[in-house]
Amino acid sequence: MSTNARGHLSSETLDLLLLSALDAPQATSAKAHLSTCEVCNSRWAEVNEDKQRFEQFVFARTLPKVEAAAEQSLHPLGKFNLRWLMPTLGLVTAGVAAFVVHAALAGAGSHVEDPYVGVKGQAPILEVFAMREAGHPFPVKRGQALKPKDRIRFVVNPAGAKYVLVASRDGKGAFTVYHPFGATESERIAGAEGPKKIELSSTIELDDTAGPEQLVAVFSDQPVAARDVETALVANPAAPSVPHAQVVSWEFVKEAN
Amino acid sequence: MPQERLHTVSLSGVDQKVRVATLYRKFGPAIYSRCRRLLKDDARAEDATQEVFVRVLRHIESAPDDAAALAWIYRISTNFCLNHIRDRTRQAEPTAPEDMPELSENPEPEMLDRELAMRLVERSPEKIRAAAVLYYIDGLEQEQVASTLGISRRTVINRLQEFVERSRKFVTRGASEVA
Repeated sequence: MSTNARGHLSSETLDLLLLSALDAPQATSAKAHLSTCEVCNSRWAEVNEDKQRFEQFVFARTLPKVEAAAEQSLHPLGKFNLRWLMPTLGLVTAGVAAFVVHAALAGAGSHVEDPYVGVKGQAPILEVFAMREAGHPFPVKRGQALKPKDRIRFVVNPAGAKYVLVASRDGKGAFTVYHPFGATESERIAGAEGPKKIELSSTIELDDTAGPEQLVAVFSDQPVAARDVETALVANPAAPSVPHAQVVSWEFVKEAN
Repeated sequence: MPQERLHTVSLSGVDQKVRVATLYRKFGPAIYSRCRRLLKDDARAEDATQEVFVRVLRHIESAPDDAAALAWIYRISTNFCLNHIRDRTRQAEPTAPEDMPELSENPEPEMLDRELAMRLVERSPEKIRAAAVLYYIDGLEQEQVASTLGISRRTVINRLQEFVERSRKFVTRGASEVA
């Protein structure tokens, strides 16, 4: 039965018929109804006329703008910085305030693995921010669930360290260097002098591997090899240790869509 | 400010431009037709089509079938066009014009006139508009309206009742004032 309770074809049925997406019995039934119902036949004529108009005039005229907007929406490079950094600055400020309070409570000798605990200026910090679709960026808490296609970025306070590498081990054990993406060793941090927060340039779009994913940020004064980080993660996932480096560890959960 | 580099961990391997153009060619007519119907203005419908398509792109890419893709299209294009209409017509008609017919207890036959239904939608409160559009103008069932808007069927029924009551009062008051 292709008609609704009011005895007519809905817009959905007409659109599916136009897309040739109805199964054969439904399509036959819809066409039979069209031949007997003036109201629906008139609407069918309208959607066909609109389709023709779209294909003849609108498509070619609007496609370039659509492609450009889609590019911005799916991979918003230039615009992304503004939309991403502006709210981040506010959050970073809030993060520093939280850090100072936390540091006063935690005192010296806290573990560097917790980015929010430590002595300001001595312990490096990793903060993770995510953006879902075209929404606003939000800070990711430890253990928080993220989804495939969420994009994540990193803010670090290197606390005087000169090099950083951010890497991940996902639910299937796959190791990936997120920053500098795909690199074999850590990258020198531009403007790392002094205790200040720096937003790293990499944006990572998450894949669909579900499960817990561990992130590590490795801070050092000399470049660190990615393979050493991978070895450390495999050897001791709970508290990876890399020689001559400070490791900040982080975990989130990737949920299936 | 750092130069951003985007890295996609899972690569689809499909050229994005081709994919966008293909989806636009496929679903663009449905969006355009809908925007034309709601906005009643070709130029605005053309602009709205581009905007709506970009907004639904991610959803239709991941939709399991065409019906699911259309549900996203209906939801987003309805809200988009209704917002556009709200911004365009800040002042609603104070009383019903003379050419508006009386509404019967069950106004579904009258609502088959989509011009009339849309005029009544435009002067109704915002929260009930989308349900009224999907039910009366698109002819969706209450259950479909509920799933398209992500609300319960009970809420749909309430909103449709409110729409009918308000519309009937509006038309009746207009008629009495004309008389």
